Amino acid sequence: MIEFLTNFLSTYGFLIVSMTFSAMLALSLYLPLMTGQLSLASPGFYALGGYIAAWMSTELYPPLATGTTFPIPSLFVEMLIAAVACAILALLVGVPALRLRGIYLALATIAFVEVLRVLSLNLDVTGKAIGIFNIPQPFVTKIEYLYISLPMLIVCIIFMYRLERSRVGRAFRALREDELAATAMGINPTYYKVLAFMMGAILAGMVGAVSAHFLNTWNARQGTFDLSILVLAYVIIGGSRTFWGSIVGGMLLTALPEVLRAVAGIQGLPPFLTGFLTEGRLIIYGFLIALGTLFFPQGLITPEFLRRFARPPKASTPTKSKPLQTPST
Amino acid sequence: MNIALFFQQIANGLAIGSVYAIFALGYTLIFSILGIINFAHGAVFTLGAYFTYTFMGLAFGFNGLLAQQKLPFGLPFPIALVLGGLAAGAIGVLIERAFFRPLRMRGGDSLLTLVSSLGIAVAIVNIIQYLVGAEAYAYPMSALGGLPPSVNFGTPESPLIVRTVQIVIFAVSMIILAGLTYLINATRTGKALRAVAEDATTASLLGINTDRLIMFTFFLSGFVGGIAGTLVGLSVTVTGPYFGIAFGLKGLAVIVLGGLGSIPGAVIGGLVIGLAEALVPSQSSALKEAVAFAILFVILLVRPQGIMGRVQVQKV
Amino acid sequence: MSNVVLQASKLTRMFGGLCAVNEVSFDVLEGEIFGLIGPNGAGKTTLFNLVTGMTPPTSGRLTYRGQNITGLRAHRIAALGIARTFQNIRLFGNLSALENVMIGQHLSATTNTVSSIVGLPASRREENKTRDRAYELLEMVNLLSKADDKARNFAYGDQRRLEIARALALNPQLLLLDEPGAGMNPNEKAELSTFIRQMRQQFNLTIVLIEHHVPMVMGLCDRIAVLNFGLLIALGNPAQVQNDPAVIEAYLGD
Repeated sequence: MIEFLTNFLSTYGFLIVSMTFSAMLALSLYLPLMTGQLSLASPGFYALGGYIAAWMSTELYPPLATGTTFPIPSLFVEMLIAAVACAILALLVGVPALRLRGIYLALATIAFVEVLRVLSLNLDVTGKAIGIFNIPQPFVTKIEYLYISLPMLIVCIIFMYRLERSRVGRAFRALREDELAATAMGINPTYYKVLAFMMGAILAGMVGAVSAHFLNTWNARQGTFDLSILVLAYVIIGGSRTFWGSIVGGMLLTALPEVLRAVAGIQGLPPFLTGFLTEGRLIIYGFLIALGTLFFPQGLITPEFLRRFARPPKASTPTKSKPLQTPST
Repeated sequence: MNIALFFQQIANGLAIGSVYAIFALGYTLIFSILGIINFAHGAVFTLGAYFTYTFMGLAFGFNGLLAQQKLPFGLPFPIALVLGGLAAGAIGVLIERAFFRPLRMRGGDSLLTLVSSLGIAVAIVNIIQYLVGAEAYAYPMSALGGLPPSVNFGTPESPLIVRTVQIVIFAVSMIILAGLTYLINATRTGKALRAVAEDATTASLLGINTDRLIMFTFFLSGFVGGIAGTLVGLSVTVTGPYFGIAFGLKGLAVIVLGGLGSIPGAVIGGLVIGLAEALVPSQSSALKEAVAFAILFVILLVRPQGIMGRVQVQKV
Repeated sequence: MSNVVLQASKLTRMFGGLCAVNEVSFDVLEGEIFGLIGPNGAGKTTLFNLVTGMTPPTSGRLTYRGQNITGLRAHRIAALGIARTFQNIRLFGNLSALENVMIGQHLSATTNTVSSIVGLPASRREENKTRDRAYELLEMVNLLSKADDKARNFAYGDQRRLEIARALALNPQLLLLDEPGAGMNPNEKAELSTFIRQMRQQFNLTIVLIEHHVPMVMGLCDRIAVLNFGLLIALGNPAQVQNDPAVIEAYLGD
């Protein structure tokens, strides 16, 4: 049993940690979407966070003695700086860009990601096309990254759970439902949209910082349009009306190619099928995304679905004092 | 920069800009009818280039299911180009029938269509890779028949040399543009198209068969996309299954610059971005890729309706 | 004499070449029910949009309790105590009735963003207060039993009442009702009139309302302004307006 577990973790350690990262990247896109803003900017902030961590750990900190691991507190410092940098950039980009709506905002954020990507291909500090490599490892094995990523994810879940039930979360959802009516309620649309955009950027930047160590190298391939697509698919397939959708979508779609690979390994399948399942995984993946929109237009996880598991809401006691007399219309 | 070089850059810019224009028209046609952006358009562009390669009877590389396979016959480039476009158009129709129409029937919002088109793009790219591998494919030099590789528009003493490929690209793009303009402005189908773009409900009340028209639009969009793919492949080789993805993103910059849904806008936007890229000094040519997106970002912030677009008044 | 709550002077709004509201001036007095009538397309809703900051005026000036509010953004105007409903009902459709009304209380919060997410005790207390108040308002419009239902599933009349409850949640001093009686039969309109008067009393409100049904306006409003093609053609108490030749012309000449 222990042996099985060790084997499992060493085989799938990389995948399991990747799944937690994907879930958080999905949340970083879900946050602006809560206010009705389709922003595909997450990969840009993810890339920036990664470059900050990669640059700090390779250039700024003293080289590690052989056989030692990268100190965890230093990693926290990198995450913090990545978060601050992403917040500032998000503010600078968000204030003008969030005046745009719908597809226009999506296109502007795609342009933002592409500009950052081309810049990173051309700047010395980002290592141009080669990128930054040999990023020091805080852990010996990949699975140990869970010590960082799992608490991060749990904090995110608690945060999102609280957020959706708070005044801020309600303001977000009001903006998504009807921006004009929301402003009539006194909700400042710019403030809350930029707030949601910054929250998403900070999360993406912090995930990027950890990912840079996790992947060992960081280059312009990390923050691309492809990733924008992927993260959007996590959110839409998972379900875009509750944060659980992003988490489930991110984890499932990240695991899917591996699952397909495992299915291909089943004995007795006809060879052409085995070949297709291994080589053509991404074909299936693409079609599943397209079909998912058709058969699960609300996503896999919906608020209605969650309500089945939820405790009945605490019976509230409307104050009985002086109920207003109303005509029975 | 001397005059001859400048002239060459302008010629390059016009050639690539005209391809951007016809490619972007593929987006614009669909956007003006359905109000959606079809992200699979870049993948259809790639397919067009591969179809043309196939119709020319050329053999595939060593990877993929179709390794070393080829058609028993080879067609001359101009015919293969048109057939490649038609095949890409057929793929466009297939995508519409299999994915977009069912979504429309279920009243899915445009975000779902967008995600669906992204999924289709991922699938197409990987089908190509599965079938013919990830390597680059180049059309043979003989594709242009007996034409010389370049034409000198200057004198032997002060040469103004333009690659023949660029002239061919420009010419083909202009023919397509002229054809589309005629189709949209002077035919019954074109009138119906414009009517549907204006107001789909009213148009269907007037007896226009909206579904058939949408199919035709997807065919046209795929056709021009496929032709554009072949033309770019002719100029710089088909760089692999991801060939059209970057180009697809640039096409978005073009249509936003020109104004979403505007047909003349797509043409102007294409030429502007083509020229802007061509005029990036060669010492910073690596930044060329960012030009379109920088323009896109700025235009969105300054004038989101684009050059030719109309301002939408929000209704309370 | 009562205080002037809202003052519009030479308020104008052009859309392209069309003048939707043309140099309209009027005062709304503390505690009155002020009716706004006129044929379709006369500019009534545009006037509401101008007052609530949803459309900036082309020219002219708006004053609320002596403060210049011309060109303020909508959420700032809401914060001053001006609430509204919409002609074509704009509820937060996918949210419950309770949440709709809780969002209406957005401005009454005293705790900040961080504390509200972290869930500090002060915020939790406030959250409970907000919820109780929302139930109270829902009870008032007879929707308590549907508190947890999605607003979009409500019947038309229920949606109208929910929208009023949501507007009242702002604790407004000035309430703008855009065709609150649309789609109601004369009986229901009479009940609505009673309800509006009660609201005014209960919440010390000043109310401006748009309504097509002339008997209802005449019976309910203290003063009435008549718009036609963006112009203010009459202003006065119901009897004055009813006998105004310009008004008769506008309505009969339609």
